[in-house]
Amino acid sequence: MVQPLSGQAIYVVLLRELKRYWRAKARIISSVAQSFFFLAIFGLGIGGFMQGLGGINYLSYLAPGIIGMGLLFGSVFSGVSVIFDRQFGFMKEMLVAPVSRTSIIVGKILGGAATASIQGIILMVVAGIMGAFTPTITLVAGALAAIGVMVLITAGFVGLGVAIGSALNDFHAFQMLSTFVMWPLFMLSGVFFPIDVVPLPLQIAMLLDPMFYGVELLRWCLLGAGTPLLGPLGWVISLGVVSGFNALMIGLGTYLFSRAQV
Amino acid sequence: MSEISIIEVKALTKVFDDKVRAVDGISFNVKEGEILGFLGPNGAGKTTTLNMLATLLQPTSGTATVNGHDILQEPDAVRRSIGYVFQDPTLDIELTGRENLDFHGRLYGLKREVRQQRIKEILDLVQLTDRADDLVKTYSGGMKRRLEIARGLLHHPKVLFLDEPTLGLDPQTRRSIWEHIQRLNQDKNVTIILTTHYTEEADYLCQRILIIDFGKIVALDAPNELKASLEGDIVSLIFKDPAAIGKMRSLLEGKDWVRRINVVASADGHVTMGRMMQMMRGMSGGVDMGGMLSGVSSGNIGGGGRMPKDVQQILAQDMSGKNSQRDLDGGSKSLNLLVDDGGHRIPEIAKLVDEEGVVLESVELHKPTLDDVFLSVTGRNIRDERGSFTEMVRRHRIVQQARGGRG
Repeated sequence: MVQPLSGQAIYVVLLRELKRYWRAKARIISSVAQSFFFLAIFGLGIGGFMQGLGGINYLSYLAPGIIGMGLLFGSVFSGVSVIFDRQFGFMKEMLVAPVSRTSIIVGKILGGAATASIQGIILMVVAGIMGAFTPTITLVAGALAAIGVMVLITAGFVGLGVAIGSALNDFHAFQMLSTFVMWPLFMLSGVFFPIDVVPLPLQIAMLLDPMFYGVELLRWCLLGAGTPLLGPLGWVISLGVVSGFNALMIGLGTYLFSRAQV
Repeated sequence: MSEISIIEVKALTKVFDDKVRAVDGISFNVKEGEILGFLGPNGAGKTTTLNMLATLLQPTSGTATVNGHDILQEPDAVRRSIGYVFQDPTLDIELTGRENLDFHGRLYGLKREVRQQRIKEILDLVQLTDRADDLVKTYSGGMKRRLEIARGLLHHPKVLFLDEPTLGLDPQTRRSIWEHIQRLNQDKNVTIILTTHYTEEADYLCQRILIIDFGKIVALDAPNELKASLEGDIVSLIFKDPAAIGKMRSLLEGKDWVRRINVVASADGHVTMGRMMQMMRGMSGGVDMGGMLSGVSSGNIGGGGRMPKDVQQILAQDMSGKNSQRDLDGGSKSLNLLVDDGGHRIPEIAKLVDEEGVVLESVELHKPTLDDVFLSVTGRNIRDERGSFTEMVRRHRIVQQARGGRG
């Protein structure tokens, strides 16, 4: 289904997401605080009895994963919010306007990617202040690259959220989503432990998690290295997987959203 | 009101799931500048018709033109020609009133200066200027409704659809919304189509009323014409014992001065299961049917369990099918007669009642109202229509929201 895109419509949906995000200060604070607790308690606690992972301390190892956590939850929930738009009626206001559904969904995806990435940037700064990254010139370039990576990762996961939100059409399934989608994606993404030290079945499960590659990319950007399992060109593989996942999810989200009844 | 038709509907039909004919081959025209009301019980097909005219729903067959554009061929042109104020609240309550309007203006491609000018003007018109920069969640139900109507007009549509514009509002607010609607119709020459199940609303506002039932048009005329079509007076008889109904009905039917007799559904006599199922299927999305069904069987409806107890009981009975056999007039105690020269017939009726030895609780005489018209063309009393239970749950929610809750 080819539908004309309207720049104005995309912009206005994006703007709405940003405004809503910015006004929900309590949500920003609590999600940053949550990530901070992970970093502080796990990073310092577990890091205390674990001596280095391939030469880096545990806080450094943990930081990209925790940033990834913020990106993952922020983006999927932002996509799934199409359910709320539908339940609380605002969706109808958008659908009865003379703009294509594709424009609406592109705006939604860009908006979700923007807000989740802002969240990721805040976390990156917090982790930096806590001393997770070695302050060098390359870190500046790495951090900029990381921001690009964040947008790429989150756009795909907003797409996933939109797809789930369009298919479910009912927010009783919200709890299920959290338990059976979000947490496995998060825990298998290699946040807490490196993939090369775990048993094979778990390794396979981790390799099937698209978020794993997202976290890998962030490690390459911020720490300058990824897992030895994927080798020195691990970042190329990860970039490929994340890009492919991204295209697939945006396509799927757009398709399901266009089909969904009001 | 001119004689030019701005909307022409031809044999428009919507069938859900291959069996439920929510809208059944309706045809009518709407004149430019008029206020036309769709009057009908819940599930009659009012909203489905509006959704098809607004291009939100594909008709199964038939078509229509809005402002000269075909709803199937030129949906974008149709959308540009209409404003739609939905039954459920569709404002973003996390944004301010002005932002909601601005969002709308951008969606319709209005340039900045035009947008700002119109927003200012329309806020004045609905008297929300001093609250424009407050978040919508702080608005009262009536203010939200006014804002939605204002928003529907921002892109200067030729036709405005209002779906149950005053549902859940208190009488005073309802009156003020009515005045706003009339003013918009006159000042802006906007054609207005509204749906309602309040007869007084249709009577007060509409130049013509289209009564729709089971997806079919059963009457279409000016309110006064509709009322005048019932020549005579309405005499309502309420008996002490439901058993008297059948007897009195056959007795009165034999009288040549009785033009028509309707049994009025009793206060707790309501729609049969079959009709409920039909209406349920007639609803498209928006309501989580599965969750509600499971909620009903566990005695907890609508998630929050805020349903009144008696409603819960009725729903539970309906669910278990206990009411499915109940006839519409089972348990009814009331007869409505359309008679010539009602005032003079009352003594005669009283005499008949006496001779039969039944006890009359009360007698009332009045000129035909739209309620009587509705009863006469559909055989049911619009006020006693409970509608499907999902509809009730939904309405309950809308009413809660209108009263200043989340919505």
